[in-house]
Amino acid sequence: MKPLSISSLAVLGAISRSVRYGFDIMDATSLPSGTVYPVLGRLERDGYVRSKWESQTIAQREKRPPRRYYEITASGARALAESAEHYRTLGARLGIPDRRSAAK
Amino acid sequence: MTDEALSRDARAVYERCMRTIRAARVLVPERRRDEWTREWQGELWYRASLLDRSRSRDRHAAHRLLVRTLGAFPHALWVLADEMRIDPMLQDLKYALRGIVNRPAFAALVIATLALGIGANTAMFSIVNSVLFRPLPYERPDELVYMYGAFRQGNQASVSPPDYLDYRDRNSVFSSLAGRTVFGTAVITGSDEPERVQSSIATANFFSTLGIKPYRGRVFLPEEEEGDHAVVILSYGLWQRRYAGDARIIGTAIPIDGRPHAVIGIMPPVLDRTMDVQLWRPIPFNTDGTSVRRFHYLRLVGRLKPGVTIAQAQRHMDDIARDLAGQYPENESWHLNLVPYRDVVIGGVAPVLLVLLGAVGVVLLIACGNVASLLLARASARSGEMAVRTALGAGRGRLVRQLLTESLLLGVTAGVAGLVLGHYLLVAVRAVGDGMLPRLAEVEIDGTVLAFTFGVSLLTSLVFGAAPALHAARADLAAVMKSLGKASSSRFGVSTRDALVVTQVALSFVLLIGAGLLMRSLWRLQDVETGFDSSRLVAASVSLPQTKYTTRDAEVRFWDQLFERVRAIPGVESVAATTLFPLRGGGDTYFYIEGQPPATDADRMNATLASVTEDYFTTMGIPLITGRVFNASDRAGAGVMIVSDALAKRLFPGTSALGRRLVVDFGKPFVGEIVGVVGDVRVYGQANDAPEMMYFTGRQPDAGWGMGFGNLATRVRGDPDAIAPQLRAAIRSLDPDVPLSAIQSVESILYDSVSAPRFRTHLLVGFAAVALILAVVGLYGMLAYSVTQRTREMGIRMALGARPVAVFRLVIRQGMALVVVGVVLGVAGAFAATRLLRAQLFGVEPTDPAVFVFVAITLTLAGLAACVVPARRATKADPIAALRLE
Repeated sequence: MKPLSISSLAVLGAISRSVRYGFDIMDATSLPSGTVYPVLGRLERDGYVRSKWESQTIAQREKRPPRRYYEITASGARALAESAEHYRTLGARLGIPDRRSAAK
Repeated sequence: MTDEALSRDARAVYERCMRTIRAARVLVPERRRDEWTREWQGELWYRASLLDRSRSRDRHAAHRLLVRTLGAFPHALWVLADEMRIDPMLQDLKYALRGIVNRPAFAALVIATLALGIGANTAMFSIVNSVLFRPLPYERPDELVYMYGAFRQGNQASVSPPDYLDYRDRNSVFSSLAGRTVFGTAVITGSDEPERVQSSIATANFFSTLGIKPYRGRVFLPEEEEGDHAVVILSYGLWQRRYAGDARIIGTAIPIDGRPHAVIGIMPPVLDRTMDVQLWRPIPFNTDGTSVRRFHYLRLVGRLKPGVTIAQAQRHMDDIARDLAGQYPENESWHLNLVPYRDVVIGGVAPVLLVLLGAVGVVLLIACGNVASLLLARASARSGEMAVRTALGAGRGRLVRQLLTESLLLGVTAGVAGLVLGHYLLVAVRAVGDGMLPRLAEVEIDGTVLAFTFGVSLLTSLVFGAAPALHAARADLAAVMKSLGKASSSRFGVSTRDALVVTQVALSFVLLIGAGLLMRSLWRLQDVETGFDSSRLVAASVSLPQTKYTTRDAEVRFWDQLFERVRAIPGVESVAATTLFPLRGGGDTYFYIEGQPPATDADRMNATLASVTEDYFTTMGIPLITGRVFNASDRAGAGVMIVSDALAKRLFPGTSALGRRLVVDFGKPFVGEIVGVVGDVRVYGQANDAPEMMYFTGRQPDAGWGMGFGNLATRVRGDPDAIAPQLRAAIRSLDPDVPLSAIQSVESILYDSVSAPRFRTHLLVGFAAVALILAVVGLYGMLAYSVTQRTREMGIRMALGARPVAVFRLVIRQGMALVVVGVVLGVAGAFAATRLLRAQLFGVEPTDPAVFVFVAITLTLAGLAACVVPARRATKADPIAALRLE
């Protein structure tokens, strides 16, 4: 499998941590909207995420239009794990210390 | 949702964001547009409501939201790109190919029609591009100016060498000013057969002024302009042909006009393409022949200094001319006429070429009209298919793109076919048109032409693919599904196709009128009375080397001996010689009626003159109107001359010219008594009126030009082409140093003399024929399609009792209405357009009624023929089958 790009990885990571709405993902990843939405589109096309519309009842209760949210799929979770591993190995090979393991 | 959910401020921010979204959403393919918009709407509303909830009225937060909204543009573009993935494109291409293969006749018709239009345009545009638009093959050609001598009676005369030197030395507008002779021949002798070639006498700076470097050797040195230097520069063509491209020729001497000349250089091939000169010799200034201001025989070429315009240069040279006229009385009224060098090389062909380019443009328009009509009909026929595909979920954009792919594929294929066709057309034009167009050898398909061709084919297919595609994609699903199998056609398709047919008929009418006018003009030209009998007559040029034949007596003796030998050739009826052969042009001089000298220079009369031998008029078949022709006793001191009928009538209206005396200027005045009047002859070609002529006998050394260079006229009993070898042998046996050239039957000279008008006439006739065929095919296609569409209507009509003849008439009326409207529009268009042809016409008015009537009838009949087949098919409509569909 081809590893995900860094921005795809960031977006997919955010979704896996239950950050599910487009603008929330921007906040979580600090990526601009012009990057996040195409990435979401690509992830969805490749089957790593699926999108749904929030239920009409919630929207009506809050007197606003429904929002679209994204969920990670099984193959998305796998891709996320593999890509993260790929970048970790790459970092190790380049001699960059893994901050997460260093902190442990 | 309700507006109360947002405060006024938040509402304002939301609205501003949505304006951006609405701008970006047009980029999103329709299929995904709504979903895309809803997603942004949902997020933006939510975020705007957060602005309220925090109550911070944080200007930064609102601003951030606006900035984030700009991301909608890259998002929309991404969706667009995602929709246009390469996969669907390949799919489109596959689908288009299948469409073409499944309907080979349709595809072949479209490709052939477009290829014809594109091919003709490629060829014609190549010619126009090379001849008119491409810069001359000289250094910075825009700086080059050509100069004629100009005086009261004309502005295309020449310049005398002393005047040239003054202009050269006194002007401050040219960085270099050069001159050369433009008429002149020389005879090369040596080991090979003697040969007469075009030769030019040039100033030393001539080549450097043009920016031409010698191919081998060197150009003339300034010191070679002083005194008599027997040096010569050869053209590339002559060097290749006569000397087999042998570089060792440089430094050796070759006999020219009986005198050895040292070869010092070879010119590059590029010069051969723009100048018909094989030998270059330096001008010897300050000799007898080059120091008389009255002898004008140079044409000048100057290179303008940077920043100087041609108008400024003209004013400056006019000032110098006035100074010279003040200094030298013979320069009175003489000055220079400056024209861009380009104009001289191109000559008068620009209007002809532009007319032809316009004509092929019209052919292409008609071809495009046909293709559009075909594609429209096709789209209508496929509206059912499109509707079904829409129903199955194909987006409109997808359908449009697919149809465009199909027409693009057709267009590109037609472009390639057109390019190949254009190439072969060019080859044909180059073969046929040799010598009829300047710079023809330079004509080729280059990058510009390639770009033009593909631009045309892409544009055509896009424009005419898009209209039917949009039309088909807009098809109303329900209506189409309902009419499936009944095949109806929308108003859009019908009226557009009608307009296309009318336009095609009108355009081809204009082209046919142009072709008809040129044809008629060509016939007039070929039927012109030349004034002599051209049948079984052979012309040949003979040059006596000046070093060998120094006196008029020697020349006459040569001719007498030659005539004796030629007469001995079996089949020869009579033979004569002249300095001026009809149709080949000649020179003139001044004269006045004895006792009536002109008061001023402006009152001088001039006439064309020729020196001839005794049998000239009988050999040529020029009728003697009154008096006698020359005989062998008209020798020096006889003082006799013969005039043409036109001259006699003008000088002595109502009275006999016989016995009257004229004073003719041959440097020295010659007084001649008119002993005969002969018929008028068209000397300057068929298109030009017969000039007033004076004839002198070659035996009078004080009158006329010498006969050292003459034209032999031989009338034979049999085939005029068969006598050439015997004429050659006769001359060689008399003097092997005398070259014989240009042996040609006069019939073929006549044929050649209208070759340029014939060439352009045939081109235009060809284009017009193609236009006619395309228009007729277009009309036929439209009607045939319409009849297919209306099969049901026809069937019902017949079921209700309409007789086949009524149905037949119905279809004919439909078609002929379009033809008549087209012809009427065509007449109007032709009245406007044929004005451009006026200069090309001879003896025909641009509004010639005969041509208009003939073309109108031809086009109407062709239109009728195109209507008949579909009309007959309509009468065969089966009423039962039609009703079954109801």
